[in-house]
Amino acid sequence: MLLEVRDLHVEFRTRDGVARAVNGVSYQVDAGETLAILGESGSGKSVTAQAVMGILDMPPGRITGGEVIFQGRDLLKLKEAERRKVRGAGMAMIFQDALSSLNPVIPVGDQLGEMFVVHRGMSWRDARARAVELMDRVRIPAARERVRQYPHQFSGGMRQRIMIAMAIALEPALIIADEPTTALDVTVQAQVMDLLAELQREYRMGLVLITHDLGVVADVADRIAVMYAGRIVESAPVYDIYKAPAHPYTRGLLDSVPRLDQKGQELYAIKGLPPNLTRIPPGCAFHPRCPLARGLCRVDEPSLFEVSATRGSACHFWRECLDG
Amino acid sequence: MPDQHYEPERALAGAGLGGTTELGVDEAEVLQRPPAGPDGTGEQGPPRSLWSDAWRDLRRNPVFIVSALIICFLIVISLWPSLIASGSPLKCDLSKAQEGSQPGHPFGFNGQGCDVYTRTVYGARTSVAVGVLATLGVAVLGSVLGALAGFFGGVWDSVLSRVTDVFFAIPVVLGGLVLLSVITSNTVWPVIGFIVLLGWPPISRIARGAVITVKQNDYVQAARALGASNTRLLLRHIAPNAIAPVIVVATIALGTYIALEATLSYLGVGLKPPSVSWGIDISAASPYVRNAPHALLWPSGALAVTVLAFIMLGDAVRDALDPKLR
Repeated sequence: MLLEVRDLHVEFRTRDGVARAVNGVSYQVDAGETLAILGESGSGKSVTAQAVMGILDMPPGRITGGEVIFQGRDLLKLKEAERRKVRGAGMAMIFQDALSSLNPVIPVGDQLGEMFVVHRGMSWRDARARAVELMDRVRIPAARERVRQYPHQFSGGMRQRIMIAMAIALEPALIIADEPTTALDVTVQAQVMDLLAELQREYRMGLVLITHDLGVVADVADRIAVMYAGRIVESAPVYDIYKAPAHPYTRGLLDSVPRLDQKGQELYAIKGLPPNLTRIPPGCAFHPRCPLARGLCRVDEPSLFEVSATRGSACHFWRECLDG
Repeated sequence: MPDQHYEPERALAGAGLGGTTELGVDEAEVLQRPPAGPDGTGEQGPPRSLWSDAWRDLRRNPVFIVSALIICFLIVISLWPSLIASGSPLKCDLSKAQEGSQPGHPFGFNGQGCDVYTRTVYGARTSVAVGVLATLGVAVLGSVLGALAGFFGGVWDSVLSRVTDVFFAIPVVLGGLVLLSVITSNTVWPVIGFIVLLGWPPISRIARGAVITVKQNDYVQAARALGASNTRLLLRHIAPNAIAPVIVVATIALGTYIALEATLSYLGVGLKPPSVSWGIDISAASPYVRNAPHALLWPSGALAVTVLAFIMLGDAVRDALDPKLR
């Protein structure tokens, strides 16, 4: 197993009290596998990723429990200096907005080359040559000329390609992509996603894809973990989920995707709002919004029930949900 | 080497993908752009860093050229005043007091019968020395303290902010009158020391604010996620993005420090005669402005031009250091 997150808990100390952003998240990613983490804003998907990468702002954030086992080592127990060596070389991250994720005053080639200088001790001359190769690799036209340009001289799609190039520079075993296509045009989204999937296959990298775009997920993911209020509520192979969701929240997400055959009808929306993380409802966190909720849901917090060997659902009434 | 421009297509084909179908809107647009000069002319030099690019911009900026020429001239005459003024600023002849321009003495004489031209030239040394050294001291002390406070935050930040507040509360001129009046040394060092002591808090505050703003940018987190250490984050990713306001404020402050030296000397607590300073000359000439305005106007004019030159330089440098303005 490449990456195994076990029972991770993260909380933030705020003025309004303790916000419990991540409450016992566990997932696994194998080499060459794509795990999509799906959820609304505030469901804890980005915070989980930051905790795994070790770039969580602490304080105000605090990891209160759990393990992050990467290539056999618990990253949470490593010293910061060792942790830093894992970042970039072992696992890398792609952010949502490539314009703000690239340093505006450093030419892109130097930002790419820096990876080799910092981690591999290469000379700047060699590192720049590698930067051009990488830009070619992510199909940036005229890489040799553009290597000296600044981030703002590139289009959105090109910038995200450069971010991808930086992430794959040292051929890490795992890439975490935090909504990599959200800030892009729809036409460019597909290209960037295809590129990412292609590179992942080529290097046999594990990919954790954080998104709320169900279309992207269907195309590239092997498995899906759906997050709600800092917990994983359903985890399953992608085909199973699209065929029949085993959690009412997943069903709600799928039903709220616009479809051509529903033209003219009102679009379904999950009623209510995501919970305030300082006051997560007792029992099942989703019960105030759930069409299947009963008395049991208000008092008993469901664990992840085994639906099949590869599938889990944190719903007391998953059978009912599965049957529709 | 015209085929260099077809590399993009080659790269696409080489990746084993349907080249044209893969081309989205932005790629197509890029391919249509006229390629750079084939023999590597124009923009194809070796512009590498922010600084070399900024320098390339500055060389084309007339404001920078004019202010830099004035400043170079000031530096040269403050190092070797005898190049353009043959006499001594201390050789005075009371019989010529307040006389106007005459051959060999283009600016006339002041109230003590000293040659105004010679004294104005020699006065540049004091002003440039105080301005440059005080600014260096203030910029280094202020930006180091401010950057550390902004980057690490916490206790260090709270302590520094309170210390800054204390220094902010000291009125500059009053502080100068009190602190400098007890010092008997008649060199520029007490004045420089005083300016650094009272000048660092604003720079520190600006540096701290700039570092906090830059620290929150995604690219700092991205660099951290790709394995950069704190030192590298601070020096390579944060400092170049945070330094522009410090440079601008420091360069403009340089002008005000020169004016402050003149103010302190005017008040009699900066440099004292027989030192030569524009402040001393302005002070000495001001009671006689009706009879001998030239003795006041020349040192005042030199002071104004010097201050203006540094402020213009500050503006030009700010424009050049922001690549987004290009």
